[in-house]
Amino acid sequence: MGVRTLGRAGEITEIAGRLSSGRTSLLIGALRRATRGGAAAALVDADDAFDAAGAGRAGVDLARLLWVRCGRRRDLALRAADLLARCPGFAVVAVDFGELAPCLSLAAAFRLRLAVRRSQVALVVLSSRRIAGAGAALAVETVQTGVDWTGPARAATRLARLRARVSVVRARSAPPSAPLDMEWWCEVSDGRGA
Amino acid sequence: MSAFACVVVPYFLAAAVERVEPGLRERPLIVVTGTAPATRVVEVNAPARVLGVHPPMTEAEARARCPELTSRTCADEVAAAACHALLDAALAVSPRIEDAGPGVVHVDASGLEKLIGDATAVGRRLVREARAVGFTVTVGLAESRAAARVAARLGRAVTVIDAGREREMLAGASVALLELDAETAATLARWGVRTLGELAALPRDGLVARLGATGLRLHDLACGLDREPFHAYTPPPFYQEAQGVDWEIDTLDALAAMLTPVLERLCARLAAGHLAADVLDVDLRLVSGEHHQRRVPLAHPLGDARAMWTLVRLDLEAHPPTAAVVGVAVTAQPVRVVAGQGGLWQPTMPAIRDLATVLTRLAALVGPASVGAPQLVDSHRPDAVTLTRFDPGAVAGARGRSTARALTGDVNGDTLALRRLRPPRAIEVEWSDEAPFAVRWNGARYRVMTSAGPWRLSGDWWDVDGWARDEWDVALSDGTLCRIALDLRTGQWFLDGVYD
Repeated sequence: MGVRTLGRAGEITEIAGRLSSGRTSLLIGALRRATRGGAAAALVDADDAFDAAGAGRAGVDLARLLWVRCGRRRDLALRAADLLARCPGFAVVAVDFGELAPCLSLAAAFRLRLAVRRSQVALVVLSSRRIAGAGAALAVETVQTGVDWTGPARAATRLARLRARVSVVRARSAPPSAPLDMEWWCEVSDGRGA
Repeated sequence: MSAFACVVVPYFLAAAVERVEPGLRERPLIVVTGTAPATRVVEVNAPARVLGVHPPMTEAEARARCPELTSRTCADEVAAAACHALLDAALAVSPRIEDAGPGVVHVDASGLEKLIGDATAVGRRLVREARAVGFTVTVGLAESRAAARVAARLGRAVTVIDAGREREMLAGASVALLELDAETAATLARWGVRTLGELAALPRDGLVARLGATGLRLHDLACGLDREPFHAYTPPPFYQEAQGVDWEIDTLDALAAMLTPVLERLCARLAAGHLAADVLDVDLRLVSGEHHQRRVPLAHPLGDARAMWTLVRLDLEAHPPTAAVVGVAVTAQPVRVVAGQGGLWQPTMPAIRDLATVLTRLAALVGPASVGAPQLVDSHRPDAVTLTRFDPGAVAGARGRSTARALTGDVNGDTLALRRLRPPRAIEVEWSDEAPFAVRWNGARYRVMTSAGPWRLSGDWWDVDGWARDEWDVALSDGTLCRIALDLRTGQWFLDGVYD
């Protein structure tokens, strides 16, 4: 089980980290792998923060992605995640809690774990802190290590990439591996030209 | 091969009632009309006929002969649904059928030998399809509709009349099979005409002179000749099933006991036509005389009664009726579902039934406008996206392997994601040396460490909702990497999103 293959079927994976630490890019990568392989995926978006255009450019097959917008309601997001976790057939169900992580009791986390084990859904939870506790089979933490800009040092012309360190803080089936340095490039959107 | 088949439901009104209440099939049943105490029997089933009950005796007389009789009235909608169900069953065998009255359907069987087999096989298929929608029928097959109709009334499940031998094979049948009116039946009885052979042997001119056009028609029927054109039946654009009860239903569990069989009958009819329902219109007749009407759009075309009931129940829980229910009618708008098979190496998709239920529950939870597959709008406007119906199965079918291969091609796998703020948050920006120097929001001030921009974007300038903005990517003093934008029309700065 590695950082690059987040989201194993029948298990809960947690991604924790603060803003601009690359955690959302990590989540989008999991969605991209699932949808480009022809499978269906779901995103429960508690903060309504999903950038569909950017995800499409990053390679997510949007037609295979179910987007559930919860309008900043954490309770709705939890219930939606519970519904989707019990529906077999989704390769990945991603739950993006954003900055305000809800309180999830240990019993609720284990109930969720049983649900995904039965449905063989890979549940990926993103938030600012860990909430599933021992219910998660894998938990990773992202920390920003640097931001690169193109152009002279004092007069940057374009954001180039974000560098981050991804550490495994919990891995049930394997000992925690060494931190992995990752980087995500800032794509050139339509309006900004190449 | 016979040209026509005729499907007949014996004692049709009783069969329509038994279709709604299958438990009555083995019990003596009478269908009555009128108001007590002057109710009259209009139809009886086979067990009641054995006990000597027959129309048009009064209900009191019938009960005197058989005290354990069960009596029912047959509502118009139940009879109409039964008629349509029988026609749907016939349509499953041949696309060209004729509605020949309650409980009788003529089927054009020409050419079916290539699909189904000989005449007996066609007859058995019709019996099987009719049984699937709740009827026990008899089928006759012959070169003409008239001969097929008489053959169907001979009592056997399937009767085949050989071509050219209609007169010979039907000669021994009773003239009562022609459904004569009482006056004509008495006249023929007075003449001593008991069988079709005897009727066919009468001189045609003499019959016309004595009975007029009726005599001519009877002679044609006895000879197995068709004189009337075939009126092909066109199915209606919707399917309806209904049921009423004599008591009041005030709980959803009790309503389930009534609504589930209705949905099962509806699904059996849809299955006969190889169709699925796209939308359900549920009409609950209330004890107050009002109607509680709900339209339940199914997230995916369905032909499964259990899944339909789940969706209807969710809708009724959200919008309960205002009074007790005494009748229900469900109308389904049918769509043809294209059957597909997934590839051996393709990932599994959510089952249609599970997906429809989950989508409906999610729509009830967060609102129907907040669930679906994101679809990009053809516009340069930032965050131009809408939601469409989520149907991954259709995507898999529409895209061939070449497209799937193209999708796995050149895409930058490690792209930095943006977390959007919806709506964008208004901020204050301090400006220095033609670049943002500091950003303020929520009462806090953040120093801009590095910035890149501006990226000038505009669009729809020819329309009332034109837009123009300058975008900056900024790294703040707390490490946050943001996209901020200046609305050039209003001069207001916004926090558009955070790179994450």
